[in-house]
Amino acid sequence: MISRRLRSTVEPIGFVLPCVLMLGIFVYYPLVQNVIYSFFRFSAFSPEKIFIGLENYRMLLKDGVVLTALRNNVRYAIVSVIVQVCWGLVLAAVLEDKALRRVSPFFRTTFFLPVVISISVICLLFGFIYSPIDGILNNFLTLVGLGSWARPWLGSGKTAIWATIAVSQWQSVGYVMMLFIVAIQKIPEELYEAAEIDGAGKLRRFFVITLPQVKEMFFVTSVITVTGSFLVFNEPYILTKGGGPGTSSMTLAVHMYQSGFFKDMMGYASTIAVVIFLISAALSVVQLKAFKSGED
Amino acid sequence: MFKKLLAVSVLLAMTVSFAAAQSGKVTIRFFHRWPMEPRYSYFNQVVAEFEKQNPNIKIEMDSVVNDAYKEKIRVLISSNDVPDVFLSWSDSFAANLVKSGKVKSLNDMLAKDKAFASSFIQSQIKPFSFDGVTYGMPLTIDGKVFVYNKEMFAKAGITKDPKTWDELLKALDTLKAKGYAVPLLEGLSDAWAISHYQGTMFQRYLPAEVLAKDYAEATGEFTNPGYKVVLERFQKLVSYMGPNATSLSHTEVRNQFIAGKLPLIYLQLAEFSYINNAKSKPDFGYFNFPAFADGKGDPGLLTGAPEGFMMSNTSKNPEAAEKFYKFLLSKENMIKFVKDVGAPVAVIGAVNKDNSYPALMGAIDLILSVKGSMPWFDNAVNIKVADAFMRGSQAIATGDKTIDQVMADAQAAAKVVRSEAKK
Repeated sequence: MISRRLRSTVEPIGFVLPCVLMLGIFVYYPLVQNVIYSFFRFSAFSPEKIFIGLENYRMLLKDGVVLTALRNNVRYAIVSVIVQVCWGLVLAAVLEDKALRRVSPFFRTTFFLPVVISISVICLLFGFIYSPIDGILNNFLTLVGLGSWARPWLGSGKTAIWATIAVSQWQSVGYVMMLFIVAIQKIPEELYEAAEIDGAGKLRRFFVITLPQVKEMFFVTSVITVTGSFLVFNEPYILTKGGGPGTSSMTLAVHMYQSGFFKDMMGYASTIAVVIFLISAALSVVQLKAFKSGED
Repeated sequence: MFKKLLAVSVLLAMTVSFAAAQSGKVTIRFFHRWPMEPRYSYFNQVVAEFEKQNPNIKIEMDSVVNDAYKEKIRVLISSNDVPDVFLSWSDSFAANLVKSGKVKSLNDMLAKDKAFASSFIQSQIKPFSFDGVTYGMPLTIDGKVFVYNKEMFAKAGITKDPKTWDELLKALDTLKAKGYAVPLLEGLSDAWAISHYQGTMFQRYLPAEVLAKDYAEATGEFTNPGYKVVLERFQKLVSYMGPNATSLSHTEVRNQFIAGKLPLIYLQLAEFSYINNAKSKPDFGYFNFPAFADGKGDPGLLTGAPEGFMMSNTSKNPEAAEKFYKFLLSKENMIKFVKDVGAPVAVIGAVNKDNSYPALMGAIDLILSVKGSMPWFDNAVNIKVADAFMRGSQAIATGDKTIDQVMADAQAAAKVVRSEAKK
C-alpha cells in the first residue's frame, strides 16, 4: 500500500526529472552564468576574470557598432515579417486553392527545398550569384538592359545588408509557407462552401475566412521570424565575412561572436548576449500580449 | 519500468566503454588551416603514411580556412578541447595562444633532440619563442612582395622595378593609360589582406621607435600623424582597384592574376606555387614594397612571418603527439611538402633544385638576404587595434567612413587595450 503511494508520487517526478535537468543544465544555468560573465572582463586564453561592474554595459552604450547591428536586425525583422509571414501566407493560400490542386505538390516541394539545404551551401551559392566578376545577377541585369543597376552587391556598405537579407528570405519563405499550408488545411471546408454560396469571391474568402482562421499560426510564425531576425548569424557571417564591408552588415549575433572570439573580449560578448536575450524575450512578450494567444 | 530503463542504460554504457577499450588505438587530433588543394592532399598523405608506420596511432585531422581557423583555434584553446597538434601563426597570435597556458613548451624536446632542433633556419624559431621558452616550430617561412605579369609590364613599357612609392604610382598610372582599367587589385573583403598592406606601409613610413611603442599593448596610442598619412596612401592605392575590390576575396583576385587578367598583385612568397602549378602560368617577376621618400622606416625589411605547429600540454598521449609532431616537420616530409605544395619551408636544405622551381629558390634567397622581417600587422598588434584598422579600411574603401573616423576608432581600441594591459 505504502509502496504504491510512494510510487505514485515518485513516478511522475521520474518522468519530469530528465526534462527539468536538461532545461536547468542547458538553458537556465548558462543564462544565469552569462549574465554573471557580463560583469567581468576576461580573455578566452586565461582563466583569470576581473570584476568590472557595469563597465561592459557602459562600453555597450558607446559602441557605434551595436547601433549599426541593431538597425540591421530591425531591417531583418521588418523585411522578414513582410516577405516570410505575409508573402508566405499568400503563397500558402494560392497553393491551397482548388484550381492549383494538381500542381501544388510540385510548387510546395520547390519552395520548401531551400529550407533543407545547408545555409553554408546557400551562402556559397549566393556568393557566386552576387559576384561582381561573372556573377549571374549582374550579368542578368546587363542582359535585360538594366546594366546601370549592376553593382558589387556584397561589397558596398549600402547594399550588403539588403543582399544578405534577401538570401534569408529566399531560404525561409518555404518554411513559413508550409506552416500556413498546414493551418489552412485544418480550416473546415464548410466555411468556404458557405461563403461561396453567399457569393463571396476568392479574395473575399481569403480575408474573411482564411486570415482569421490562421490567426494563431500568424502569431507563431511572426514570433519565429522576428525572434529569428534578432538571432541571425550565419548569413552575414558567411556572405559578408563577418558583417563587412566595414561593419555595414553587422548583426548583434555576429558582433557578439566577433567580440568574443575574434577580439577576445569574452565579458563584452556576454553583455551583447544579454542584450540579445532581453530583446527577444521582450518581443515574445509583446507579441504574446498583442495576439492574446491561447485565449481562443 | 525503472528496472528496464536502468538495464538498458547500463547495457549501453557497457557497449560504449567496451568499444573504446577494444580498439586500443591512441588518437591524436591534428588541426590546421588548409582544407584546399594542394595542401589538403599533402597532409592527407602524410597522415596516411604516419598511420602506416605507427599502426597503433590514429590521427584525426580537421581543417578550416584562414579567418575561420583564427576564430576556431581560439574557441578550442579556450575550451578544454585543445587539439594535440595544431597550426599557429607567429608573434602576437602565438603569444595569445601561449597565454592560455595550454600550449606545450618544446624546450625539453629540443634539448633532447639536437638534430631536430638544428634542422631549422634558426631565425625562424624566434617568432614562436617567448621569455626563453619555445612553443612552436616553423613550417613555412614567408614574405610579401609585389608580383607582376612580365608580359603586361613590358607591353606598358615599364622596364624597371618600382623602387619608390612615386615610381609605383607612376607605374600604376602608366598601366591605366595603356588600357588596364584595374592595374592593381586586392580582395578587400578579406580583412587580413588589408592588414598585410598596412603593416608594410606603417613599417616603411613610421620610425621604428614609434611602432615599437604603439604595437606594445601597454603603451600603444596610435596618435602619430604618420598613421593618417599611411591611410591616405592606402586610399590612393584603393583608387586603382576599381569598384569591386571590397566584394572580392584574395583568392578570387589571385585567380585573376593567374588567368592573366591582372598586371600587379601583392602576394605572399608561399603563394608562388599557385602561379607555378596553374596551366596558364604567367611569367612573373616580383619586388619588395617600395620605399616612401619621406618614410622613416627601413625599406630593406620584408613583411612576413613563419607559420608553424604547436602542441597541447593537455594531451592525453604526449609521446604519440610528439612522434607525430616530429614526423610532420621531418626533412623528408618537408622535401615532399616543397615538391607537392611549392611553398618555402624553414627546414634547412628542404628547398633545393630537385623539388622546386627558380622563383621559389629566389624566394628563399630573398628571405635569407633581407635585413630583417616584420610580422603581419594583425599578428604584430593586439587584434582589437588590427580590427579597427582592417574594418575601418574596408569602410574607407566603400566610402562609408573617413580616415579621421577610422583613426579615432583605432585610438579608442588602443585605449581599451592599454587599460587591459595595465590591470
